[in-house]
Amino acid sequence: MTPVEWAILAFVLGCAFATALLRDVLASIIAFAAYSLGIAVVWLLLRAPDVGLTEAAVGAGVTTVLFLLTIAKTVRPAGDDLFVDIDVTALGVSGLLVAALATTLSALPAVGSASTPVATSRVTNYYLENAYTETEVENAVTAVLAAYRGFDTLGEAVVVFAALIGLLVVLDRGVLA
Amino acid sequence: MSSSSTADGDDEFAVGDAPARPYVESPIIMATVRVVAPFVFTLGAFVMFHGADSAGGGFQGGVIVGTVILMIAIAFGVGPTRDWLSASFLTVLVVFGVALFMGIGLAAVAFGGAFLEYTAIPVSHASKYGIELVEVGIGIIVSGTVVGLFFALAAGHATDEAEEVEE
Repeated sequence: MTPVEWAILAFVLGCAFATALLRDVLASIIAFAAYSLGIAVVWLLLRAPDVGLTEAAVGAGVTTVLFLLTIAKTVRPAGDDLFVDIDVTALGVSGLLVAALATTLSALPAVGSASTPVATSRVTNYYLENAYTETEVENAVTAVLAAYRGFDTLGEAVVVFAALIGLLVVLDRGVLA
Repeated sequence: MSSSSTADGDDEFAVGDAPARPYVESPIIMATVRVVAPFVFTLGAFVMFHGADSAGGGFQGGVIVGTVILMIAIAFGVGPTRDWLSASFLTVLVVFGVALFMGIGLAAVAFGGAFLEYTAIPVSHASKYGIELVEVGIGIIVSGTVVGLFFALAAGHATDEAEEVEE
């Protein structure tokens, strides 16, 4: 863990608490966008640029705009308090959930370890050795997504398509006029 | 479908029971978006087309391209932007994206291969071009959906307009 990683981690945790505790919805949304940006940097540090790019574009970008649009359509509850009143029951449940998940942390391998099952798996090595010759694309992630599991990706694309169509049906608008 | 409805969603954030102020045209935001939008669009297209060789791909590029329309809508008002991008165009675009993806898959079947078996298509470097076209198809679907979600949320439910008090 370098100082940069510690700083990013502290930033992400701080944004997460701010999102949960800030009373003003607008402030909460801004904190949530900052949280997404921090997570995107974390993905980048973990050598997952494709995921990081998605997190930055969707999590920090589009989701924030949609949230802002939603509160623009509604009203923000007025209040002088900076933070919400803590709900002890909810806090207890959250704490238990975090504690249960934290027990799995010790089982995770070190970041970048060469002896992880993923790094030593025959499947991984097959992709790394054959992806370029078989699919002619240099990005192994794209090769897996669009070629080796292209049918799944088609399903995902259709899910996104269906989300839009479903929304139009629910909002009772034949077209977006 | 009421054409007389004001550009909803352009209101400032209303606090408490204060009436929502109408959308104010800010020359600063408009000028900024006018300059930045082409560059963001180019970045989105780059991420979409270059996803085969570097980080990114159709999904990420499509979101970035969709963000351009969101920026324009925020700067120039949701209503005018919605009129400028006709709704049928958006729907046709998204359907075209799905058709492009499936078309590539079916083209491979037509040449005797399996579904999405790019190498079956008798074109030089068929695999590379096939994957690129699929990425573009995904990009079109995602960008259309992002813009569609934005407009649908901005418009709100159809029954909202009847309840709203016209100012």
